[in-house]
Amino acid sequence: MNALVSRYSQPAYQHEGHSDNDTQKQLALDVAPSLSLNFALPPIASTASWLRAMTDDHANPNVPIKLAHGTTTLAFRFKGGIIVATDSRATAGNWIASQTVKKVIEINSCLLGTMAGGAADCQYWLAYLGMQCRLHELRHKRRISVAAASKILANLVYSYKGMGLSMGTMCAGVTPMEGPALYYVDNDGTRLAGNLFCVGSGQTFAYGVLDAEYKYDMEEDEALELGRRSILAATHRDAYSGGFVNLYHIKEEGWVRHGFNDTNPLFWKYKLEKGEFSNVTSQLV
Amino acid sequence: MSSPFSINGGACVAMRGKNCVAIACDLRLGLQSLTVSNNFPKIFQYSPTAFLGLTGLATDVSTVSELFRYKVNMYRLREERDIAPKTFAQLVSSSLYERRFGPWFVSPVVAGIDGKSGAPFICGFDSIGCIDYAADFIVSGTASDQLFGTCEGLWEPDLEPDDLFETISQALLNAVDRDALSGWGAHVYIIEKDKVTKRLLKGRQD
Amino acid sequence: MADRYSFSLTTFSPSGKLVQIEYALNAVNQGVTSLGIKAANGIVLATEKKSSTPLIDPASSSKISLITPNIGMVYSGMGPDYRVLVDKARKVSHTGYKRIYNEYPPTRILVQDVARVMQEATQSGGVRPYGVSLLIAGYDEGIEPEQQNAKPAGAEETAVDDSAEDRKKTTGKTGGILKGGPSLYQVDPSGSYFPWKATAIGKSATSAKTFLEKRYTEGLELEDAVHIALLTLKETIEGEMNGETVEIGIVGPPANHLLGYEGVEGAQGPRFRKLSPQEIEDYLTNL
Repeated sequence: MNALVSRYSQPAYQHEGHSDNDTQKQLALDVAPSLSLNFALPPIASTASWLRAMTDDHANPNVPIKLAHGTTTLAFRFKGGIIVATDSRATAGNWIASQTVKKVIEINSCLLGTMAGGAADCQYWLAYLGMQCRLHELRHKRRISVAAASKILANLVYSYKGMGLSMGTMCAGVTPMEGPALYYVDNDGTRLAGNLFCVGSGQTFAYGVLDAEYKYDMEEDEALELGRRSILAATHRDAYSGGFVNLYHIKEEGWVRHGFNDTNPLFWKYKLEKGEFSNVTSQLV
Repeated sequence: MSSPFSINGGACVAMRGKNCVAIACDLRLGLQSLTVSNNFPKIFQYSPTAFLGLTGLATDVSTVSELFRYKVNMYRLREERDIAPKTFAQLVSSSLYERRFGPWFVSPVVAGIDGKSGAPFICGFDSIGCIDYAADFIVSGTASDQLFGTCEGLWEPDLEPDDLFETISQALLNAVDRDALSGWGAHVYIIEKDKVTKRLLKGRQD
Repeated sequence: MADRYSFSLTTFSPSGKLVQIEYALNAVNQGVTSLGIKAANGIVLATEKKSSTPLIDPASSSKISLITPNIGMVYSGMGPDYRVLVDKARKVSHTGYKRIYNEYPPTRILVQDVARVMQEATQSGGVRPYGVSLLIAGYDEGIEPEQQNAKPAGAEETAVDDSAEDRKKTTGKTGGILKGGPSLYQVDPSGSYFPWKATAIGKSATSAKTFLEKRYTEGLELEDAVHIALLTLKETIEGEMNGETVEIGIVGPPANHLLGYEGVEGAQGPRFRKLSPQEIEDYLTNL
């Protein structure tokens, strides 16, 4: 009974506003009626645990609702700005659903978000974040800070905590007031600022390469190369990462895209021309 | 914990051609998402023209392949002849059923050519030895769904050895590229009456 | 002295003999004579069916037995021991082979299995050796392709070596597992076994073998072999010779009429079958 009362008296979406007065709240709703946050919830008492049970394929691989998963994403700060790199594979169980997913969301010309975890959750909420950022810009007549943008997202996912959202994201951007700024936000509500993050099933492999070679005082081409090489290492060892290396560089003037390159020719270039990946056989004994 | 059949990953396929057969496997050995080795072949030779492909739990793949090495060696010493693919298939079947209530977690595939008649032979098994005779192709492993698709699409009757090689290679490579747990290179055997050709395919390494 | 070693089966005598095995051979040598002849296209097993009284129903006793569809056997020695061996041979051909490979054992493998059973009875506690010698006849498909005997058109038969090798090939076609064909083995109580072209066991084995040595020729046809078998038996037989008193088993072409069904592609009838009294009578009248 208590659960029922709480459900009807305090739906999560009512606490999502970031405006400080009712007028603005009303305005936000009027501007974007199609992006209403009124989600249908399962008609049961304990929605959170039920949703978790239905979608958490880590605890139970035979869950009825399978979400696309598995990723390697990384971003790091260096003297020339921020490098953001991701793979492009989407898997549902062991099935490779796509090799050409764009896991970097271009929120605006200076702000990038990365997606790992549930594809739909990331896509939807980062688009929502983009909308909120634009609204912020219109209201305040200046671009939103990375800190504020990441906080919008963090507060949002926190309001749905325990209901099965699955996302591990990074918000990266360069703003005049902050300089290069990088935040990690996940579905637990964790929000961390840092120099260097890797997120997703292949994060450990990416960290391995990145930590070994990372220096804040890298040159731009050096930093791009490190981002690319770290993702490549992760796609090689992690079954749920692969496809293409999606590479971005964020500078003061805004972000620049450095290609969406197939890992296959990239891998053989590193192996055959540079002698790396000596664990892979290329000749029949 | 996921099924023992999909902890390590791997894929295998056999195809029948005109007076020839082909059998191919990927090279991955993983522990769930972690790729541990890219050189773990799953095809084993037991006579000049009898081959066994084993996918499933890697420890069982090794153990079962060695078990059949022992059994076939004993057969050859006792009978002073090489085992015929059909006879070998029966041996595989009865050996698997011996473990009916505690099976090996493997999905075997047999491919070969009969030494006397020169007839091509392929068949597959479930983990407790039910034989699946096929006139076209046999698939097994974590990419078996994908392999069914590629084989249904690419295979045609009476392929010559070279065409069969192209067909089985494309079928395997394109199937494992849609399976997270298979790939990382492949071995292909083309078996003719008195010639066996083994090739390495450089597949995607992601 | 011999008595001190004759009771323990597993004790050698000072001269290196296991006398119980020799006694078992004595039992064989008192048994009714049986013989076997291998032809190019088959084998014949023959024996005399003796009965001490005319009151016995001859159709109910049988000395030649089918083990697998392509293998049969006959004995000399103790009838009850033979029946046990027939049971064991039939059983081991399934448990030790057909259940594993889904095909019947080749003749030599079955012979080895039966020989093992007989050997174990010479080295185990609380048992005595089997008092029988066996003749086992079988046909193997072989796993090598059929040899082309036809020479190339241009080839002239010049060298003596060439023709000698050709002859070797034709004779080599019988007996081997690789090339297949008929094979005939004798198994003794000791567990030792020998492949034969033709041989005899039992009471008149020695004289029968001398007779066979004279009559046997390479490349014999099965029909001729049956003929020779009856002639040999005639030399040693004591009573009357007719379809009731002579037993013959042959390994020949697949007897599809014994399959019990027809219309199944690839189905092959048994190669081993016993001749009916009427068939034996027919051979005897043509003797």
